[in-house]
Amino acid sequence: MPYLIIDNRHIQVPRGTTVIDAAERLGIMIPRFCYLKVLGAVGACRMCAVMFEAGPVKGLQMSCMVQAADGMRVSTTHPEAVAFRRQIIEWLMINHPHDCPVCDEGGHCLLQDETISGGHSRRRYTGAKRTYPDQDLGPLVQHEMNRCIQCYRCVRFYQEYAGYRDLGVMGIASRIYYGRFSDGALESPFSGNLIDICPTGVYTDRPSRFLARRWDLQRADSICLHCSLGCNTVAGAHYRAVIRQESRENVRVNGSFICDRGRYGHAYANLAERPRQSRLDGEPAGWREAAREAAARLKRIAAAAGHSAIAVLGSARNSLETQIMLRYLSHHAQWRPPRFFVNGSEARSTAAVVARLDSRLAAGLPDLEEADFLLAVGVDPVNDAPMLALAMRQAARKGAKIVVLDPRPVELPFAFDLLSAGLGDLPAALAVLVKTAVSQAGTDGCEAQEKAFLAALPGRVPDEKLQGQLGQAGGWLAASRRPAIICGSAIAGPELAGLAADLALLLQTGKTPSRLFYLLPGPNAFGAGLLQRGSRYFPSLLQDIEKGGVRALLVVENDPFFRYPDQDRLHSALGKLELLMVLDYLPSRAARAAHIFLPGATVFEAGGSFINNCGLLQYAAPVHEGGIPLAQVSGGSHPPRAHAPAPGSEKCPSAYEALLFLANELAIRPPTMDASPWSLLPEDFPGQAELLAHPYPTDGLQLLPRLSEAESLQTPVNLPTSGPAAGALTVLRVEQTFGSEELSCYAEPLRQLAGPPLALLHGADADRAGVRDGEQLCFEIGGEKVELALQVTNRMAPGQLIIPHHYALGRAACRLPAVVAQAELRGLTGQDSPDLPQAITES
Amino acid sequence: MKVDKDKDEGGIINGLLGLAASYRVTLTQLFRKPLTESYPEYKRPLPARSRARIILTRDKAGGERCVACYLCSGVCPVSCISMQSAEREGGRRYAAWFRINFARCIYCGLCEEACPTLAIQLTPDFEHSCRHPLDFVAEKEDLLVDHGGKDGDYDFYHYAGVDCGEGKGTHEAELPPVDIKSNLP
Amino acid sequence: MDSTGLIILLAKLLIVLAALLTGAAYLVLVERKLLGRFQLRPGPNRVGPAGIWQPLADGIKLLLKEDTVPAGADRILFLLAPAVVAMVPLLLFAVIPLGPDLHLANRTIPLVISDLNVGLLYILALSSLSVYGVVLGGWASNSTFSLLGGLRGAAQMISYELAMGLSLVPIVMLAGSFSLVDIVAAQEGFPFLLVQPVSFVIFLISALAEAKRLPFDLPEAENELMAGYHTEYSGMRFALYFVGEYINMIVLGGLLAVFFLGGWHGPLLPGPLMLGLKIIPVPLLLIWTRATLPRLRYDQLMQFGWKVLVPVALVNIVVTGGLILWLES
Ligand code: SF4
Ligand code: SF4
Ligand code: SF4
Ligand code: SF4
Ligand code: FES
Repeated sequence: MPYLIIDNRHIQVPRGTTVIDAAERLGIMIPRFCYLKVLGAVGACRMCAVMFEAGPVKGLQMSCMVQAADGMRVSTTHPEAVAFRRQIIEWLMINHPHDCPVCDEGGHCLLQDETISGGHSRRRYTGAKRTYPDQDLGPLVQHEMNRCIQCYRCVRFYQEYAGYRDLGVMGIASRIYYGRFSDGALESPFSGNLIDICPTGVYTDRPSRFLARRWDLQRADSICLHCSLGCNTVAGAHYRAVIRQESRENVRVNGSFICDRGRYGHAYANLAERPRQSRLDGEPAGWREAAREAAARLKRIAAAAGHSAIAVLGSARNSLETQIMLRYLSHHAQWRPPRFFVNGSEARSTAAVVARLDSRLAAGLPDLEEADFLLAVGVDPVNDAPMLALAMRQAARKGAKIVVLDPRPVELPFAFDLLSAGLGDLPAALAVLVKTAVSQAGTDGCEAQEKAFLAALPGRVPDEKLQGQLGQAGGWLAASRRPAIICGSAIAGPELAGLAADLALLLQTGKTPSRLFYLLPGPNAFGAGLLQRGSRYFPSLLQDIEKGGVRALLVVENDPFFRYPDQDRLHSALGKLELLMVLDYLPSRAARAAHIFLPGATVFEAGGSFINNCGLLQYAAPVHEGGIPLAQVSGGSHPPRAHAPAPGSEKCPSAYEALLFLANELAIRPPTMDASPWSLLPEDFPGQAELLAHPYPTDGLQLLPRLSEAESLQTPVNLPTSGPAAGALTVLRVEQTFGSEELSCYAEPLRQLAGPPLALLHGADADRAGVRDGEQLCFEIGGEKVELALQVTNRMAPGQLIIPHHYALGRAACRLPAVVAQAELRGLTGQDSPDLPQAITES
Repeated sequence: MKVDKDKDEGGIINGLLGLAASYRVTLTQLFRKPLTESYPEYKRPLPARSRARIILTRDKAGGERCVACYLCSGVCPVSCISMQSAEREGGRRYAAWFRINFARCIYCGLCEEACPTLAIQLTPDFEHSCRHPLDFVAEKEDLLVDHGGKDGDYDFYHYAGVDCGEGKGTHEAELPPVDIKSNLP
Repeated sequence: MDSTGLIILLAKLLIVLAALLTGAAYLVLVERKLLGRFQLRPGPNRVGPAGIWQPLADGIKLLLKEDTVPAGADRILFLLAPAVVAMVPLLLFAVIPLGPDLHLANRTIPLVISDLNVGLLYILALSSLSVYGVVLGGWASNSTFSLLGGLRGAAQMISYELAMGLSLVPIVMLAGSFSLVDIVAAQEGFPFLLVQPVSFVIFLISALAEAKRLPFDLPEAENELMAGYHTEYSGMRFALYFVGEYINMIVLGGLLAVFFLGGWHGPLLPGPLMLGLKIIPVPLLLIWTRATLPRLRYDQLMQFGWKVLVPVALVNIVVTGGLILWLES
């Protein structure tokens, strides 16, 4: 541990620390432009010069390029260093366009700060300034090249760190240019990070362009709700609208960056169509009045048909507080236990994950970055959880082998091996791969149960080519030292989650102690998984509604219509209810169908705790008080001139608040939740109640048990080894980076980037079905037409028809059957399609 | 602390004389004419830089000078300026609305000092009392004037290297934009 | 006392009260006008010609103002304290002889409200009472500034009361009586100022200090203590403090006239007018002083009181006593 002196203050730092970081630990901020800890040092800007007065290095040196060493004596205020830095900043400012007043970076601009810290205040250079043309970089990032100071941060992030090539550096000498070869949207789903890392205003946030200064924003630490990773953000609101999000560093989760879905997905909070008025049988009413009436009706129904005639549906986007409140309420009112997932498979997968994940197994994103072998099964990282791809790339940059086992034509910003297996083959393929690896590494450490389990695993998959690839990958796994299995939940069922845990445990007995990383269907799916314990799944609830066993349904921040396959059945079932009460902040179909509707508050207004896919409990603070965005109240002109209360400032209650009110009306009086939400359910969660007796740490609180109590390594394993019968296609409904997730698909810029929906089909299937690449598929389901273009690719597994959840497809697309015959695919092709001869359609 | 012994320089006599002298000075003032100018009867012409009612000026071409940069609202010690910036056709940044609450303004002039475009200026016109507090709230229409005020010739967009339709490299002391496709030295 | 006596007494009371209150109100105007002129301003000039209705306007304004009592204040004391301050100078005036006895329809009407034989002691006693208004008001307000003001008031009063009392001892020695009527009578030939200039100066300074006027206004020192002991007062209660201060200035003039300037004695003019003429310069002097001198530091104030005034007054007594003995022998 080197021991050095900086500005007469002593400090000891870990080996390998640069002097600039050592100084930062002392609270001395040495000016810098090009240096960024995650990107490393390049010494391009010369701004961090300090004087090395004694020790192994002498003289004026760049503090970002020199590693701390014993005996160093460094002065950051040496006159020579100060003069040097003053000149550097003056030179950097020679071509600066002096447009800070119209630059969105102004106010949080590193160049402004360093210009002031360098003491440069008057322009001496009288020559002409260099100018650059700007480019249209798409709907997310605004380009203004004149402001560039050539620090190379952007390309280093974009190309080296994130692995995309479409933005780079061009030109020579003083004409160095950072941009794309030609205008066009940036391809990287991490492009928004350019805004954060560029020290000047070359890249600025386009959706919030010219809307506010950073210093005017109400800012608070928030959590991204657009996938289960729970990346940390700082959200900024202005005049009651959330207008900008930035990444917040959390080394246990997202590191320094976030993806564009997380950065730009907040538009749903500002939506003009967002419901703000509570309704009682279609008529506007105050929310308290509506809730009071709901309580009265619930009491009536309970008296007439018993308490179990009332059911509750929460969601995986509920805050933990809301979920706990729901559970508490239904427990004490003796209603049915709450459900949180509409999709039964998601509910079972999440239950399996929550049961199996423990701290032996669990890996976080930073662990993945350190892995030397990554096996992703049932995951399309860029589309399911973008930041996962960025973490995997860091592993790849350090030399890790990466294998993806998935039916989809997965694309990733780094080299990897894609093993295409059909959806039904995934568990078997995974088993084969791991079995190969364990057998190769030897089973010396295994106990009898483990050996039996191993023996029961299938040794082959029917597909020869896949078998060969699995064998090779098994070899890599056997040779690795820090492997990790990444297991998705979006397409694969619960069997895969359980199997992955078993296999990881099996690997841990050998020389390759594998870790496990699950993805979950929603930002608080983990919480839902914990709290859904003992409840049956939504489809069974639907049956009960149809049979009349359930007469009232309370839906909190969920839209059963969003993806439920049988929309007609759902519609008629919900129509049978005596009371459908919905509480939500989205303009959802369920909200419109409700007898009693209460508008909700988003995470930006209410805050809340969320448990991410790794069992990390994190808190999102409220950003603003709520109310209708001022721009909507005043129609873009100045706000009404009146004394308080200003119009539109009425807030919607948070789900928690509304439920608490409802509970009080029902004469159930929960204790306040100030201390810990778990204190409401001490008997259910004794361990957590104890953990959460104190406020959460800012970087999250790990909730996983040390050892999972669930049964593991159950033999015999009965794994399906093939998909649907020949001639049939499994319909895979998949996520897209943009335009499919429930909340972020309201964001206009992300919709633009999502492009039109594409159906994907393997070449062989296309030939057999007689459809061609680029052809327009036109389904007619339930009287509604769904159109989407067909893309034929051989990078995917045969036997699947892949159709994205896409905002533009509308609700009819939900009703696609799980399996279609190839012949049916032809049948589904619209009659009026000019490409298809009449004869084929008829045959 | 040791109390200063009030050093007796010159003794009691000098002290008394000093005391008498000060009484004499004040007495002579009593017989001088007061300097006060009685306000409503006589209105003194004020210098152009005196600080009262605020205006938003225009550039020579008649365009709004304000670029809604929020510097004035940021520096205002009583937070009486509020606005919403927006983008005009052609890319100019402007204030969609701009409001000053004169009931709160302390006429310190910091906003004028902070303004990078010389848009916001204080004028000598200080007589604007009214009965209702809301009448003190001035909107952009009330603030905008049709002249450039002090330094009427300055135009921010002639100097800033930002393109608002006239193309890059066309402003004061700017080179034409570099050709990014050329690698010639 | 017969009923005519009672009526006469009531009439005297009424006249004195009216004169004092009007005097005080206009003294305020005079002070503001004079201060204005000292500072090259016109002073109040908007209400009526040359601002002569200003006191009226002030009175109406103060009457209509809300009477606030701070939270946590001792309500009763807070409400009563201003009354003490306003009362004391009024009571003081009761013993000041206004002129020679009046003979009307074979009644002798003494032109003094009450000729106490211990009038001087009464004056000393009452004038120390007035500090209660200050201390109680300051304490009852439950405010730091008020409390500090009250404390300073008490300390100042204790220090200067001594000097004041001592400065009056030679007068008693000369007059041979505590009665103010006797003291005035004793000055028929010459005012005591001529034989007791030192006492006069000491009395003047201590009176200034007791009146809490510049340069001795530490209890209210506006630039340190907002308004000192009456920071928390508003409306009529504040006005009581104010009126008390101004009546006090007039009463001081009366006392100075009685003790050192021969009271109502004088050539040509009738007694009460003569007395009035002697009183008027005193408030004017106080106003002039206010326009001239800066406030003393607290330690200077104490030092001056204890180390200068008291010893000088003591020496003065001894010298006067010696002289009287010498002259008599
Ligand atoms: S565009 Fe920004 S990040 Fe990139 S080199 Fe220029 S200043 Fe640096
Ligand atoms: S990876 Fe997921 S949690 Fe992270 S920012 Fe993107 S959408 Fe949000
Ligand atoms: S003059 Fe001062 S108080 Fe008034 S608007 Fe400008 S900065 Fe604010
Ligand atoms: S500082 Fe000037 S340009 Fe900026 S918002 Fe205020 S008036 Fe407009
Ligand atoms: S920060 Fe060290 S050279 Fe740029």
